[in-house]
Amino acid sequence: MNKTADEQLLLKAKDQVVQCDRCGTCLTVCPLFAFRDTERVSARGKNAITRALAEGGLRPTDEMLSAVDFCLLCQACVDSCPNKVRTDEAMIDVRQYLTDKAGGVGIKYKLLGGVMKRKALVKMGAAALAAARALRLGKLVPFGMAPEEFTRAKFLEAFAGPAALGRPAAPGSAVPSPAAKVAYFRGCGMEMMFPAAAAATRDILGTTTALIVRDNPCCGMPHLAHGLRGDFLALAKENIDLFADVDIIVTDCGSCGGTLKRFGAYLAADPAWRDKAAAFSGKVMDLTEYLAKVGYQPRAKVDVPVTWHDPCHLVRGQGIRQQPRELLKATGKFVELKEADRCCGGAGSFHIDYPDAAAQVLARKQANIEKTGAAIVVSGCPSCLVQLAKAAAASGGKFKAMHISQVI
Amino acid sequence: MINAEVKKKFRAIVGDEYALDSDLDRFGYSYDSSFVPLVPANNPDMVVRPLTTEQVAAVMAIADEHGIPVTPRGAASGRTGGSVPLMGGISLSLDRMTNILELDEKNMMVTAEAGVRTIDLYNHCAAKNLFFPPDPASWKMSTIGGNVAENAGGMRAVKYGVTGDYVMGLQVVLADGTVVNTGGKAVKNVTGYDLTSLFVGSEGTLGIVTRALFKLIPMPKTRGTIRLMFGSLDAGCETVNRLLQENIVPAAAEIMDKTSLDAVARKRSAAFDPAVESCVILETDGEDQAALDAQAKRIAAVARECGVLEFQVAQSQAESDELWAIRRTMSSAVAALAPNRIGEDISVPRSAFPEVVKRIKAISEKHGLTIAVFGHAGDGNLHPSILCDLNNPEEAERAHHAADDIFAAALAVGGTLSGEHGIGITKKPYIYKALGEAGVKLMQSVKQSLDPKGILNPGKIW
Ligand SMILES: Cc1cc2nc3c(=O)[nH]c(=O)nc-3n(C[C@H](O)[C@H](O)[C@H](O)COP(=O)(O)OP(=O)(O)OC[C@H]3O[C@@H](n4cnc5c(N)ncnc54)[C@H](O)[C@@H]3O)c2cc1C
Repeated sequence: MNKTADEQLLLKAKDQVVQCDRCGTCLTVCPLFAFRDTERVSARGKNAITRALAEGGLRPTDEMLSAVDFCLLCQACVDSCPNKVRTDEAMIDVRQYLTDKAGGVGIKYKLLGGVMKRKALVKMGAAALAAARALRLGKLVPFGMAPEEFTRAKFLEAFAGPAALGRPAAPGSAVPSPAAKVAYFRGCGMEMMFPAAAAATRDILGTTTALIVRDNPCCGMPHLAHGLRGDFLALAKENIDLFADVDIIVTDCGSCGGTLKRFGAYLAADPAWRDKAAAFSGKVMDLTEYLAKVGYQPRAKVDVPVTWHDPCHLVRGQGIRQQPRELLKATGKFVELKEADRCCGGAGSFHIDYPDAAAQVLARKQANIEKTGAAIVVSGCPSCLVQLAKAAAASGGKFKAMHISQVI
Repeated sequence: MINAEVKKKFRAIVGDEYALDSDLDRFGYSYDSSFVPLVPANNPDMVVRPLTTEQVAAVMAIADEHGIPVTPRGAASGRTGGSVPLMGGISLSLDRMTNILELDEKNMMVTAEAGVRTIDLYNHCAAKNLFFPPDPASWKMSTIGGNVAENAGGMRAVKYGVTGDYVMGLQVVLADGTVVNTGGKAVKNVTGYDLTSLFVGSEGTLGIVTRALFKLIPMPKTRGTIRLMFGSLDAGCETVNRLLQENIVPAAAEIMDKTSLDAVARKRSAAFDPAVESCVILETDGEDQAALDAQAKRIAAVARECGVLEFQVAQSQAESDELWAIRRTMSSAVAALAPNRIGEDISVPRSAFPEVVKRIKAISEKHGLTIAVFGHAGDGNLHPSILCDLNNPEEAERAHHAADDIFAAALAVGGTLSGEHGIGITKKPYIYKALGEAGVKLMQSVKQSLDPKGILNPGKIW
């Protein structure tokens, strides 16, 4: 990225953060500030750093990069902010700026970028996992948990009673527009860590439409969040072309959805891509959003209490709050979770970079889940599910964590 | 600069984790919510975050010994630069002192540490049906230490008064580390000087407040919210004034002009009738719904005589929360209208409210700058906000002249510089005009006797 593009990025971030009034409302909602309460951790602190950087009052340093990196991008601050300052976007821009300036993304992420970009990865190749392991990203792919706990059969066996076992998925009651071409977006996290859940999503979608599944590349969120904007844009363009001929693109990952829906915004300044990108983003739907639209009825009833954890990128990123709850209510005994929309600490790869902080954020989530008495906490984002599965284990089996496709 | 030896002593008192001196951490404690620019930064040399009164006292003793400036800080939501460490030294952050020590239901009093957030204290008391009335719009984040130090007001000041009206006693650490306790639970108390009042509103320049004892009142049984729209700001002011004269005292009476309304509309994608020039939001409270309905009826009658365009009683808690959210976010929404906002806090006799607003509009035209006006119509305290770009030197010049004119207008109608935000840094230039030489001198002599070395929040007020 050349210098002027860099400066533009910083100006863009500045445009956001000058809207910050430094009132401090965000201090009261930030999940990280809740236990590490120094100013630089807060959104106000990060906005001030950004503004001072743009106004020449602070020099870029490693300390600064680590400060802007220590953010869940969960948007709780944005939500509570009187001026709706997009601190999350500003942080992404500043990370990029500092990365380019200092020439140093965590080298880890440069490599990760390369891996995620390879189409092979989303095919869930063992080779990709091996590659990830070679990069010491092993923790990103928690082998221990995926195979067993996250299969639909296991779920039914555990919760739905014998009658439900082995019964084929009933035909969906949805009435999709017959002409609409519906595609499934294969998310890296889902395919790598929760292949059974991804398969369940496809089964469900298959009951509503003649589902199109392609070898799409990564949505680019990990790249964007870690200073690999060039890679992100390349991936976006590849995806836009790949799905040019479909009408609806469904994703079962909140983070992918939040990102895909913003391609239009990210490419708005590029005349060659602007319109195509906007059209693409207009077609993207979260699984629950789509199922609500087509009037999907869950396949089986379960009579254990279930609760829902809102993924940040679903609830604040896309404004989806009701749809998953309605689906769960139709499935079984839904109980509301206190602070359901508070970040669980997964936050993409945050939990890998800052395991201790993520654990603290998670502890609060776990306590809230236990208070509901739910046997299953359901969510819609692989990064959350990794965290929630950890919480489930820590709770000593009080509850399990499942993707929504495996429950409805 | 604080030398390494002394820094070590501070670390030993509060623990390494709570004595910060990295560049970025020092920067984080260099600003507050005022328009004092971020750059060049007023960094402290060290941020010290004590947990107990004993730690505060130990820190002060060392600061006193070495003549190190100490600037107390709560949540840095202050609007006048009060917690900005102008002379470096220590930023003494009290935000870890968050214990509510005692809720004395019999005497209806509560004791809390300085770092407790205002809203947490309110909720703690509300759970026992007791009411802590001072409610600055910043109550979600502001600390009670900051509230006491600024004698913060709030929406409900018109009926219930300001922070100072509820302070019964304080624990204060003096400049040399001495701990004093003022006041107490006795309702009547004239034993010696009223030192409690001396510290209320002293902006951290006379001592560090570590604890406060507040009196409480029973929680009103029901509350209602009414929104009134007017074709002029005058009509809104007139209505509020008439209500008070007729002894219909709303718990809150907030007014905002069209510019302020538009600012909120922009952030909340709401739209208002173009004929609307001002909006008044009232809170009513009373024994039961019938009492509220009766009040609403009387208010409606007065408002009609003043030409109200819309009169809307909130029908649910959600509706009334929404109306108050509009008011609470107003200040920040207005700030976002321009690169910079010079927010003022003048306070005038209630009867002069329409007159001073008229003068502000004239000032706005004279200098060619938009000035949004909103405030507490019930008590004559208003917040004119000059919208400008301080990076443009010519505009900055005009903005500062406009600010000068606003203060002059406030004084001319018998008002004063600040109703609730304090003087801090931003209103220093006007202090002599407001208080006179003799007034400032007397304050300086009080300061001199409590803080002879001038280490407490130096560079503020005058
Ligand atoms: C959006 C918004 C709305 C606001 N609305 C109102 C309002 O309606 N009414 C109102 O009155 N104010 C309002 N304010 C101003 C501000 O919130 C108040 O002045 C508040 O009391 C400051 O509290 P704080 O904890 O943030 O103090 P800070 O800003 O940290 O400090 C304020 C001053 O108090 C001193 N101080 C802080 N703690 C102590 C202590 N323990 N001992 C001694 N000195 C101390 C500091 O040195 C400084 O001089 C608003 C501010 C914002 C951002």
